[in-house]
Amino acid sequence: MKQVMISTDHMSHVYQDEMGREVHALQDVSVHIHEGEFVSIIGTNGSGKSTLAKHFNVLLQPTSGTVTILGMDTKEEHLIWNIRQNVGMVFQNPDNQIVAAIVEEDVAFGPENLGVPAPEIRSRVDAALAAVNMSDYALHGPHLLSGGQKQRIAIAGVLAMKPKCIILDEPTAMLDPKGRKEVMDTVYRLNKEEGITIVYITHFMEEAALADRIIVMKQGKVIDEGAPKDVFMNVDTLKGLGLDVPVPSEIAVRLQEQGVAMPKGITTNEELGEAICQFN
Amino acid sequence: MSIQLEHVTYTYGQGTPFEKTALYDVNLTIHEGEFVGIIGHTGSGKSTLVQHLNGLLHPTSGTVTVNGVDLVGKTEEVKQTRHKVGMVFQYPEHQLFEETIAKDIAFGPKNLGFDEAEVERRVREAMQFVGLDYDTYAERSPFHLSGGQMRRVAIAGVIALDPDYLILDEPSAGLDPFGREEIFGEIVKLHKEKGITVILVSHNMEDISRMANRLIVMHQGQVLLDGNPIEIFHNDREKLQSAGVDVPPLSQTLQALAERNIPVNIDRVHVNEAVADIYDYLKEVHHAK
Amino acid sequence: MLSNITIGQYFPGDSVLHRMDPRAKIIATMIFIIAIFFADSLVTYSIVAAFTFGCLGLSRLPVRLVWLSIKPLWIIIVFTLAIHVFTTPGEYLFTYGWLHISREGLNLGGLMAGRLIFLIVFSSLLTYTTSPIRLTDGIERLLNPWKRFGVPAHELAMMMTIALRFIPTLLEETDRIMKAQESRGADFTTGSLLKRAKNMVPLLVPLFISAFRRADELAVAMESRCYRGGEGRTRLKELQYSQLDTYGIGAVVLVSVVLAVLRWGFGI
Repeated sequence: MKQVMISTDHMSHVYQDEMGREVHALQDVSVHIHEGEFVSIIGTNGSGKSTLAKHFNVLLQPTSGTVTILGMDTKEEHLIWNIRQNVGMVFQNPDNQIVAAIVEEDVAFGPENLGVPAPEIRSRVDAALAAVNMSDYALHGPHLLSGGQKQRIAIAGVLAMKPKCIILDEPTAMLDPKGRKEVMDTVYRLNKEEGITIVYITHFMEEAALADRIIVMKQGKVIDEGAPKDVFMNVDTLKGLGLDVPVPSEIAVRLQEQGVAMPKGITTNEELGEAICQFN
Repeated sequence: MSIQLEHVTYTYGQGTPFEKTALYDVNLTIHEGEFVGIIGHTGSGKSTLVQHLNGLLHPTSGTVTVNGVDLVGKTEEVKQTRHKVGMVFQYPEHQLFEETIAKDIAFGPKNLGFDEAEVERRVREAMQFVGLDYDTYAERSPFHLSGGQMRRVAIAGVIALDPDYLILDEPSAGLDPFGREEIFGEIVKLHKEKGITVILVSHNMEDISRMANRLIVMHQGQVLLDGNPIEIFHNDREKLQSAGVDVPPLSQTLQALAERNIPVNIDRVHVNEAVADIYDYLKEVHHAK
Repeated sequence: MLSNITIGQYFPGDSVLHRMDPRAKIIATMIFIIAIFFADSLVTYSIVAAFTFGCLGLSRLPVRLVWLSIKPLWIIIVFTLAIHVFTTPGEYLFTYGWLHISREGLNLGGLMAGRLIFLIVFSSLLTYTTSPIRLTDGIERLLNPWKRFGVPAHELAMMMTIALRFIPTLLEETDRIMKAQESRGADFTTGSLLKRAKNMVPLLVPLFISAFRRADELAVAMESRCYRGGEGRTRLKELQYSQLDTYGIGAVVLVSVVLAVLRWGFGI
C-alpha cells in the first residue's frame, strides 16, 4: 500500500455568508488520496470542490473533522509551512497568481520564501521551467504570454518548491482549447514521469477522464467515487448534476438501455468502435 | 439590412516598433436574421474582427457599414447606428458598476437619451428576457449575485439597448454546464423571438454546431472558411485542423465509427440521433445473422 | 491606445553600466544629481555635459533616447526657461510692452533649464540600464539599514514588484472595460471637465472591484507559496558588489570634487 498523501476524516466546513446565514460548504467528507495517484474532483459551481481543495493547502480549516496531509494534522499551526511546501496549489485565474514581472523571478518566488540558497534556486528554476517546456521564456514578461503558458509558469512556480503533490483548482476554466491541452499534457506528464501526486479539480469531463480516480461532489458531499470508466456509466446522474459525459460513454450507455449488450466501461472512441464491430 | 465589411485591414500600433497586422483584407456580409458562429484560436483575429462591427475599432483600410452607414465619424447617424450593434464582451460581469441591478441595466438606454418611462420599459423587458424577475431583483445589488446571474445582468444591459445585431464573445466562459445551457437557451430565444441577428464568438465548436446556421473560421487574420457548419465539418476537416480548431466531440466519435465502416450519419449534432442510427444498424446486423 | 504605453523604461543590454550593481548606480546617480547643482559656468557645464554623454556612450544606448527621456517633461523645461527669461531684471535685450528679455535672464534661464535636462537625462540612464526588478532589489538593500528605524524596506520593495507586474494587466483591463461601456453608449471623451469626471464612474468602479479581487486572489496564491514576509527569504539573484562599482562611484565622486573645487576654489 502506498503512503497516504491526503486524507480527510468526517470533515465539514461551515461559514456565514454576507446575510449571516450558515452555509454548509462541506458535509462529512472523508476522502483518501495516495502517493502517485491522479485524482480528479468534479462537480458544478457551488458543489464544494474548490473549498475542499483549499483545505489541502491549509488555506482553510475544517469546522469539524480532520484533514491530514502526509501524516500532519492541518490544525497544527507550526506545520503549515511544511504542508504548503509539500502540497503546492495552482489556481484558476492565470493572471492573479504570478507575482513577479519576469518569468524566472516568479518561478523563484516559492524557493526564495523557503530560504533556499541562491545557486540551488537557480538550478530549481531551470529544472522547473524545463519540466513545463517554458525554458525559452525565462526572461519574458508574463503579461505577454498566453493563458496556457501562464498556467504552465504557475505550475513551474509550484514545482520549484519540490512538492510531493500538486492541487490544481480549475486550472483550465479560463483557457482556450489549445491552452487547456497544454496544461493537461503537462499535468499528465508530471504525474506519470515525475510521480507527483495530482489532485485535479475541473468540470471538463474529457480532462477528468485522464485521472486514475474521480470523486464526484454535489452540495458539499461526495456522491460518487471510482475509476472514470465506472463513474461515466452513471450518465443520468451526472447529467442531472449538470455535468457532461464523454460522448462514447453516453452512446454506449444509451445503447445498453435499449437492450444492446454493450460491454461496460467504454470511455474512448476506439473502445466504442471495437464494441460495435464485435456484433459483426 | 446587413453588416458589410469590404477589404478590411487592421494594424495595431501602426508606426511603432510593435506594429502587428491582425486582419488582412477581410470581406464579409452578415445578413439580418442570421445566427453566425465565429471560431478561431487565440490570435486568429476574431476579437479584432468583431470590434469592427460596432465601431470600437476602425479599419486601417477598407470600410465597415452597418445598415448602409459607414461607422467612421461622429455624426448622430453614426452614433445611432453603432448602437444597433450590441456587444457582450468576455466575462461581461466585470463591467457592472451600479448599486442596483435595474440601474445597471438602465445605463445603456439612458445614455441613448430615452425618457424614464421608456428606460424602465426596456429594463423590465431585458430582465424578463434573461430570466430575472423584476420585482425580486430590480433593487438588489448586482455584486451579491452568483457568477451566472451576474453575467445575465450584464447581458441584459446590452439587450436593453434593443440592438438589431448582438455580438457575444465567449458568453459561456468559466460557467459550468448548467450555466452554459441557461445562457445559450436565452441567446437562442433572443434570436428566435426577437429576431435579433446573433454573432457568437466561441472556442467551442459543439455550441456553434448546435445553434449557428453559419460558421466563419478565422485563421491568421483572414476568413479561412465560411458556410454551413455541418458542411464544413464534413468537407473541410483538414482545413479546420490546420486552423487549430477542433471539430465537436460527437463529430469526432462519428468520424471514428465511420472509419470502421459502421454506417452512421456523421452530420448528426445530437447524441440521441446518433444512438438511433447505431441502434438501427445493429438491428440490421442482428437480422442478417 | 493604452496598450501602447511601455512601462518601466528598461532597455536590456550588456554594457558596463548594465553590469553595475543597482545599489552603486543609485548612489552614484544621487551624488551626481547633487553635483549638477555645483555647475554654474560654461566650463563646469561642459564637464557635466561631457560626463553625462560619456556615460550615455558607455551604456551603448542610442542617442535618441535623450530626446525620449526629455520629451514627457518638455513643458516643465520650457516653463522654467520662460520664468527666468522674462522675470529676471538686468540689461534688456528685447522689450515688447511689459515683456522684457534681459541678458541675465537668458543666462539664468539657460542655466536652470540645462540643470533640469542633465538631471533628467542622467537619472533616465539609471532606469534605462537597470531592470525594474534589480532597481527594486537595490532600493530594498539600500533601505535595509533603516529597518530598525521602522522603514518597511521589504514591504516597499514587494509592493513595487507587484505594481510592476500588474500595471500592464490593469491597463489591458481598463481598455476592455472602456470598450464595454462605450458599447453601452458611455462617452469618455467629450463634455465639460466635471461631466467627464462623472462619466469615469462606470470605468473606475469595475476597475477597482477587479483590482481588489486580483489583490485578494494574489494574496492567497502568495500564501500558498509559503510567503511570510521578508524574514528568512533568499534571492535568486543576490546582488554582487564588484570592482566595477567602486570605479563607477569613484568616477562620479571625482567629477563632483572637480566641479566643487572649480566653483569654490577657483570661482569658475
